[in-house]
Parts: sequence; C-alpha cells; structure tokens
Amino acid sequence: MKKTAEEQIKVLFAKQSFPPLEVIIPILEKAGRGEQELTTQVYDMESTLVKGIKEILRLKGEDMKTLAKVVEIAFSFEGVKLEPIKLSESKFSLSISDCPMLHVGKNVSLNVKSKFCDLICTGGSKALMDTVLGQDRGSCFWDKSLIKGAGKCKLVFELVKTR
Amino acid sequence: MSYLKNSVLLIFICLIVVGIVFVLVWLNTTEFMSYADLKTVLTTTTATFGTMLGIITAGLMFTQGKFSELASELSEKSSDYLAKVLSLEKIQSIENHLLVLRKTFTNLAATTTISEERNLYERITAKASTIFVNFAVLLNLKLKQQGLPDTGLTVSEMDSDLYRVYEKRRKSIRKDWQIFNIIKEIIDVWEAPTAFFTEKPSRKSALQADLKGSVSLLELKEKVDRSSTIRSEVVKMLSNLIDELGKISKRLHEDRIPQLLFQMEQASTLRGKYFYLALIFIAAPLLINLIILPQLSETTLTFFKQIISITSLLSVMGVIFLLLYIHKILNV
Repeated sequence: MKKTAEEQIKVLFAKQSFPPLEVIIPILEKAGRGEQELTTQVYDMESTLVKGIKEILRLKGEDMKTLAKVVEIAFSFEGVKLEPIKLSESKFSLSISDCPMLHVGKNVSLNVKSKFCDLICTGGSKALMDTVLGQDRGSCFWDKSLIKGAGKCKLVFELVKTR
Repeated sequence: MSYLKNSVLLIFICLIVVGIVFVLVWLNTTEFMSYADLKTVLTTTTATFGTMLGIITAGLMFTQGKFSELASELSEKSSDYLAKVLSLEKIQSIENHLLVLRKTFTNLAATTTISEERNLYERITAKASTIFVNFAVLLNLKLKQQGLPDTGLTVSEMDSDLYRVYEKRRKSIRKDWQIFNIIKEIIDVWEAPTAFFTEKPSRKSALQADLKGSVSLLELKEKVDRSSTIRSEVVKMLSNLIDELGKISKRLHEDRIPQLLFQMEQASTLRGKYFYLALIFIAAPLLINLIILPQLSETTLTFFKQIISITSLLSVMGVIFLLLYIHKILNV
C-alpha cells in the first residue's frame, strides 16, 4: 500500500538525527572548536529534509510562497509552533514560540546560548533558502527574543536584491 | 472531549450543591420532626441505600464481566505473540544488539568527563537494560510455553541488580495476557513520542531518540577530533533494532493492544477504588441506620438526631459517588 505524504514526511524526519543541544554545547565549549562542523551538520540535515519535503509534495517553485510552505511543514514536524506575520513575493516573516535553545540547561549563559542560536539558525536557514530559492538567493534574520525571555522570536526571510 | 469533561464537572458541581442544600434542609427539618416522621425517614433511607448497594453490586459484576472479556481477548492473542511475533531468533537477535549497545555505552560513559554527555550514555545503558530484562522475561515464558528448559543465555549476561529486576518481573506474570504489559513497556521505552527538535530535557525521551542523538553526537565528535569512533557499529545496531522492534510495535498497534490494556486498567480501577469508596459511603450510613432504627424511641430522639444528621451527610456523598461510579462504568 502506498504511503500518504504525511507518512512519507514522518519517515523522512525519523531518518534524520541531531545531537542533543544540552549535550553538544558543553562538549564544544570544552573543546573550543567544532562550531563550524555543527553548522555544517545542521545545514546538511536541513537540506536533506527540505529536498525530501519538496520531492514528496512535488513543490517545484523557487519563490517565497514555496519557502513559506516548506518552513510551515518542516517546523510543524519538528514540533515548533509557527505564526505567520507577512508573506510577499520578496519577504516571509513569522514568529515562533519554541526553539531548541529554550531547552538547554539553565547553567548555559546567555552569551553561549546566543552563539549557538546563531550557529544553528545560520545552518538551518541557509539550507532552507539555498534548497528552495537557489544558492545564496536569500537572507534570514532572527531577533533571538526567545532566549532573552520574550515569548516569541521573529524570523524574516528575504530575497537578496540582484543588480 | 473537553466538552464532555466540562459537562461532567458541571454535573458534579450541581450534585454537590444539591447535596449541600439537601443536608441543610434535612438538618433544619429534623429539629421540627416528630418521632413517627423521623422513623419513616430512617426506614425509607435504609431501603433506598439497600437498593443503591444492589446497583453497586450490579455495576461491579458488569465491570468484572468487562475485565474478564478483555482478559480473555488478550490471552487468546498472547499465545500467537509468543509463538510467532516473538520468535526465538528474533528475541535472541534483539538481546544481542542490546548487549552490544549496553557494553558500548557503558564504556563511553566511563571515558567521558562531561556530565551531560555521561548522562546521555548512562540513560541509554539503563533503557537498553530495561528492554533486555523484559525480553529475557518473554524468552523465559516462551520457552516454558513450548515445554523447553530455559537456556539461561540471557540471564548469564545480567549483573545481580538486573537479575533481581528480572526475577521480580518474571514472578509478576501470573496470567497469559500480562505479557502484553511487558511488550508495551518495551515499545514505550523504545519509541516514546518525542517532539524531535524541541525535546524538553525533563521529559522522558525514548531509547530510539537517545540513540539517534548519540549517533549525531559521535558523528560531530568524529569530525572535530578527526578520529574514528564506534559510530558505525551503533548505527548498525540502531538500524537493526528499528527494524525488529518496529515490526513488533506495528503489530501491537494493529491489534489495538495498548487500547485494550488501557480499558483493562480502567475496569480494574473501577473494580477496586471506586467500589470501595462507594461502599464506604453507602454501607456505613446503612449499617448505622440499621443500628439506630431499632433503638429509636421518643426518649432517644434527641440523642440520635445529631448522629442521623452525620449519616445523612455521608449518604448524600454516597449518592454522588454512586452517580460517578455509574458514569465510569458506562465509559469502560
């Protein structure tokens, strides 16, 4: 019997794994290196997921609308609640009320959380934009409000203006 | 579902309010009641609670019937599980994988200096041990069912603590259907639902999720240290376990075993806790009324009036429990 799209995406996510942040942060902090490798690992994982989602749902577009759809699906399967703010041809903004960084230990300082937030979001968002929009065609901004104690964090995906 | 819960809560509050009003009216009216009226009230109360006790008994029989029906359905399936789903080869293969994982992660936990990392590895070892013991119990039952002697292959791999757990679990299985409690526990430890990326550390994570996390972690450490670790071996074990335990889990869910076990648990709770609570609140006033009633005379009226008030209060609470009990029975 052929699997439904939801089941296929579930299998796709089940195949992926990510090192638990509460464990990896102290390891990399102690080693004093490995941050680039972590970003690469996030990039590779997210690229595989996005490619898989696009293939399963037959999403061919290379625009913001497609990116928004992929983000919505990826976040929901990752267990992150998303609230869209604005979607236009060149921009997609959203807010999230949960992120992996919120669940790391209390003994991790804000600076360290901020650094790892950047590492993960850089890898994840670049993978999303490169896979959907095309290589280096988008930029992403995140305000880190969640780790600062606010209830929501804003993410903005934008098309890079070409001359 | 929440609507149903709200309506039950509303009914419950209404019943409490009605009960309180009833008690207040009762307390006030007894002061003006004559001896003959009080005697009639007591006789009626005794008869009413006698009927209620009858209803409770009928409810208990119904619950017992439901419990037996579920137990027999599960017992029928248990032999098929022990014979086919849990083949000897499969159990031994899973046990071997779990043994390798236990040894690997015990060594990893011993070599790391970072507490968070050690916690993760120790968690994996503990969960692998839980599943290992549970499969050893199933293997023991399977061999017994087939009239074969226990080879002791798995027992020899246990330390004294694990062996104690194994013996305790083995002895706790008295009925055929109880093997499903063990199988369900295995699956729950293996694949407890997780939120993938935003897993809360306080929540109990599944062994599968912890193993995947550790594989990722080992991969990253390999890249950082440019050294080879035992990652490939763990990946192989993980893949085999996903395949083997996945099949058992699939069959378990197809046969609706978790739901049936949950229904049995509900029936068992009703049979015990609710019955005894209802019995206390109904039998106590009933017995007191039976003692009071023969002693009741014009002269003892003042003396018994306060006691009757207390028994009446207990009786009203008994009615509420009875209604809750019936509601629960209907939902089994």
